[in-house]
Amino acid sequence: MIRDAIKTVALAVGIFAAFVLQMFIPPMDFAAGSRVMLVPVLFCAGACTLPYPLMLALAVLTGLMTDLLSLQLVGDSVEISVGWSILLLVALGSICQGVRPLVLRGQWWLPALMSALTTLSILLSQYLAITMRRFDTGGFVWNETVTARILVPALVAMVLSLWLHMIIAFVTWRRQERRLLRDF
Amino acid sequence: MRKVNILLAVIVVLVAVFFMLLSTGAVKGLQSGLLSLMAPFLKTGSAVQQGLGAMGKGFKSLDELEADNRRLSTENKELRAMNQILRDLETENNRLRAALDYRERSVFRLVPAQIFSRDASSWWNTVMINRGFEDGIDDGLGSGVPNTVITDKGLVGKIMNVQKNTATVLLITDENCRVGAYVEGSRSKGIVSGMRVQEGGNPELQMNFLDKNADLQPGQKVYTQGVGAVFPPGLLIGTVKSFQQRELDGQAIITPEVDFATLADVFVIVSQPQQQ
Repeated sequence: MIRDAIKTVALAVGIFAAFVLQMFIPPMDFAAGSRVMLVPVLFCAGACTLPYPLMLALAVLTGLMTDLLSLQLVGDSVEISVGWSILLLVALGSICQGVRPLVLRGQWWLPALMSALTTLSILLSQYLAITMRRFDTGGFVWNETVTARILVPALVAMVLSLWLHMIIAFVTWRRQERRLLRDF
Repeated sequence: MRKVNILLAVIVVLVAVFFMLLSTGAVKGLQSGLLSLMAPFLKTGSAVQQGLGAMGKGFKSLDELEADNRRLSTENKELRAMNQILRDLETENNRLRAALDYRERSVFRLVPAQIFSRDASSWWNTVMINRGFEDGIDDGLGSGVPNTVITDKGLVGKIMNVQKNTATVLLITDENCRVGAYVEGSRSKGIVSGMRVQEGGNPELQMNFLDKNADLQPGQKVYTQGVGAVFPPGLLIGTVKSFQQRELDGQAIITPEVDFATLADVFVIVSQPQQQ
């Protein structure tokens, strides 16, 4: 339990750092100005491995920061309510918890798939929310740029998640190997 | 699923609902707190990024430096002379306005600021600058009139959120930033705003609610109208690129004067001219 709590704190710090780092990554002009999203990768890494209560804590932190950093005021009201992403991440985190036993048994590709799904869900829900809010003035807009800006970050998140899990697997394997050699 | 987990999930849902029910002021306060917490990291990151970017450009020969120095000295003298002429004109203008019983135009106070961070989201266009309420910047939460942000080229946007030493600027390329504007050399007036999704680093603007039969030509300049007291009148927004008639109104596509892809230094207008 203490180990999991330490992991959660480390992931929370990592998520904060990811929010900062994301702002310095330029948009991908070759992919309709899509952005790289690091936060869903870290959230899913935690949600697929941590116990349920700690996943919930991570969902509250990540969701709150996501909403506050994308907060827009239109007149006197908020465009997307703060707290919306918490609900979304609790739902997605609960799906991650469903595949957690498989991930702990070595199905390392599942967090990558969940990272893509989470990124896609966050971007799609944000876009649908602003579309609903701006429908009276701007109508419904859906084009190739919107599709690219939702799908490309999801694919990038999947690739980043695979890299992250490969690095973790490599580090774990080296540590185990060193321990075996030392015992021998 | 264990009962404890279900209970915890319900508590988290209630927490989310609690955040949804918070007032706009409280939510803005929370956002300011988070941005204040992030600001030191963002500023450090920006400084490192600028340092790395300048590394390759930083090496210049003595001859090049001397030439640069000469050019800048000349430019400085020119600008000083021009400033003096403009001051004289301003005094004369104020005197004439007073004679005609107009209220005297108050002088803009410009606060120079640097952009140190850009929004990482896919749907909103904001930047963060290194000036805050300590420098007199106002997001309009109390006064109802947020400060305007400009460059020497033209309009950039308005202050959306302000912290102690930092502020968030909503760019005119965002769909939520609406500016009352008029087209030079015509009676056409409309609302300029950004578009919801656009490709590329230098996006275009749309000017809606124009007269359906307006005779707009590419290259005509578009200025702020000064209605609503948010944006001062006469600030250059951009030039007309094209005009199309719609069922009820006309729409012009505007090329912004400011290059948003390379935007780094801006000015915040903290004292606006009085409305006539």
